[in-house]
Amino acid sequence: MNHLESLSNLKDGQKGTIHHFTNDHMASKLLSMGVLPGKCIRLIRRLPFGGGLYIKIDNQNIALREDEARNIVLDIAEKTEVYL
Amino acid sequence: MNSNKTFKFALVGNPNAGKSSVFNQLTGLRQKVGNFPGVTVEKKVGSLTFNTTEYTLDNSITVSIIDLPGTYSLYPNSQDERIVLNVLAHPSDPNYPDFIIYVADLTHLERHLLLFTQIKDLNIPIILCVNMIDVAAEHGIFLDKKALSDTINVPIVTINGRTGEGFDELKTNMLSKMQSDPPPQYKMFYQPNQVELKAAEDIRLSLPKVDNAYRAILLAHHYAKMPFLNTDEKSIIKHIVEKHHFEDLRLQITETLQRFDKLRPIIEKIFEKNKNNHSSITDKIDGIVTHHVVGPLIFFSILFFIFQSIFALASFPMDWIEGGFMQINASLKSSLPEHWLTNLLTDGVIAGLSGVLVFIPQIAILFFCISLLEEVGYMARTVYLFDRIMQKVGLNGRSIVALVSSGACAIPAIMSTRTISNWKERLITILVTPLISCSARIPVYALLVGFVVPSENWWIFNKQGLVFTGLYLLSIVSALSAAYVFKKILKSDETTFLAIELPEYRLPHWKNVGITVFEKVKSFVTEAGKVILIVSMILWFLASFGPGNQMQIVEENARKVASEQKLSEQQTKDLITSQQLQVSYAGYLGKFIEPAIKPLGFDWKIGIALISSFAAREVFVGTMATIYSIGSASEDEGSIRQQMKAELRPDGKPLYTMATALSLLIFYVFAMQCMSTMAVVKRETKSWKWPIIQFLFMGVLAYVGSFIVFHIFS
Repeated sequence: MNHLESLSNLKDGQKGTIHHFTNDHMASKLLSMGVLPGKCIRLIRRLPFGGGLYIKIDNQNIALREDEARNIVLDIAEKTEVYL
Repeated sequence: MNSNKTFKFALVGNPNAGKSSVFNQLTGLRQKVGNFPGVTVEKKVGSLTFNTTEYTLDNSITVSIIDLPGTYSLYPNSQDERIVLNVLAHPSDPNYPDFIIYVADLTHLERHLLLFTQIKDLNIPIILCVNMIDVAAEHGIFLDKKALSDTINVPIVTINGRTGEGFDELKTNMLSKMQSDPPPQYKMFYQPNQVELKAAEDIRLSLPKVDNAYRAILLAHHYAKMPFLNTDEKSIIKHIVEKHHFEDLRLQITETLQRFDKLRPIIEKIFEKNKNNHSSITDKIDGIVTHHVVGPLIFFSILFFIFQSIFALASFPMDWIEGGFMQINASLKSSLPEHWLTNLLTDGVIAGLSGVLVFIPQIAILFFCISLLEEVGYMARTVYLFDRIMQKVGLNGRSIVALVSSGACAIPAIMSTRTISNWKERLITILVTPLISCSARIPVYALLVGFVVPSENWWIFNKQGLVFTGLYLLSIVSALSAAYVFKKILKSDETTFLAIELPEYRLPHWKNVGITVFEKVKSFVTEAGKVILIVSMILWFLASFGPGNQMQIVEENARKVASEQKLSEQQTKDLITSQQLQVSYAGYLGKFIEPAIKPLGFDWKIGIALISSFAAREVFVGTMATIYSIGSASEDEGSIRQQMKAELRPDGKPLYTMATALSLLIFYVFAMQCMSTMAVVKRETKSWKWPIIQFLFMGVLAYVGSFIVFHIFS
């Protein structure tokens, strides 16, 4: 059983496959950086108080704002859901 | 091949592809930094010569190489990135290249090839230069060069930008590109959909100069912001775009996705990859460096270390430079006849020159440290760490680089804001950056702090050191508060981005660091130097001449006093200079503004110093030395301070009380007293509006702050 979840709702260490983007502007920017649907994203860590997210995709590290991460919708496999 | 033409090569690639290493390897120090016309994006152009013997040519060939800003695609988000589009979409642009050297990072080849396919679709002859083969090899990634070149049909060179490996092959390829005619016709990589095809066809029918389908599609996307199109052309394209329901964003997305879809099988075919854990060292370092508590601590320790080394290491060469210029001046004065031209040379030109060059050590050290942090990949981490707090006050994480740099000098700091894509965030960064205490304020602080507290310890801290720290903190707090106010005032609905790549840590490439330091120092000397030199000559004029023959009368009177008091020749000269300054134009200006600055506790002499500080803040100390007639003795703080201590107000009380000194200090913390900064802000914002607003708000802060402080403490 898989379910969809926004990247901004993930906990540290969780991962998921990019399903789609909710904002075209952000999508256009992220696509050109190689953040593509079908790729696996792992949230490495995030800064407290609504700070930035440190993510890993394809061996590439990217920093995103929470607002930016909210636009990335991930397909999350249940078995990787460590924190239930 | 036309031998009279200088061929232009352009370096294009993603950020962090190692483009600057390639540029430095190809051109060495044969490069110059300018600006693209109309915008302030830095343009680096260098040259490369193919000589007759090494390449068996009839004549040697020199080509120019232009380093275009790094970008992920031809859909730009910042001013830097927009340049790449505007140059490549416009074949009659003076910077339009004959050939492109596309630099890609082998470790992230798929993403790096996106822009490559876009540029290839513009049908510009291209060499693909695959960089970082050494790093890739460590990760078990090897390139099947032949397989790739068979699929994409362009020459491919693998290089190592650090060691120079592969550059001979690159140069041979460049040469054969120049010697092969006609240029190749590339097959379109991207397959446009019906809307795009129709729009492109219509654009090419109405604007015959558009010679390529993909270029026409780019015009349809970006026409509104393309400076090379005139209003008629824009309205034609607008009409076409509306007629075909050309949806900008959606089409951008489908185009990018299609390109990646076509790239993926190619990449899978050409890679010999052992999947091993890729950037484990980077991950380990980042576990500490980007930790939410330890990270900022490390950042502030690095800052502390940088500023300590700036002050500790720069003081020696600075003393040499100042001493050297004083010696030159002294020997010129004794060997040249006494004439106003001699004085212009020594007190105007050379003093101004010394005022510029004395900052070279500090600027060089600061840029050494900053470009080192940039080289190893640390700067992107600080952007990530501080983005949230910066956003709260209307800035961008990228502003942190400018704020740190402005601790040395606001000029390079303002220039570093070009990477901020959102105009409002960039503007606010520019506006508040000069509030951070720069190195030019240090001599002023050092002179005045002695009047505020004695040099003794409180607990384990030096009291003067504490006041210094307080002034710096005040400058940081005021910069962030001012930013917050501007955030509330200025309106903008432009999207703001953080989305930044955190590249793998790597050892610095010293050649790149060296060239950056050299370029930054050179541009400081030429850009800021011009202004400072001109203003110090104007100031020299104002201080050396006065209305009527009063200068002469004063000189005669001073000579009389001197002979009565049996002063030495040097003392007499100093007395004359000091007395003459009072009746000079500068003196009159000082007296003219005295009523305005009296509420702050300042007299007309301080007024002169304030006026002269507009060339550069540290001129304050020199002016004080002249006013208190010790100009020729030295600019030694001790003797100036003694003279200042002895200075009385008309009512007999000392002028330089704690209140006056604090008031002056506060004034120097806030006031915009730097012509060069204003000139740079004008250039960056393309209007006088912003430097004037900046001058006014900082002036009001300075005036009100000084007023309050003076009345609290007196």
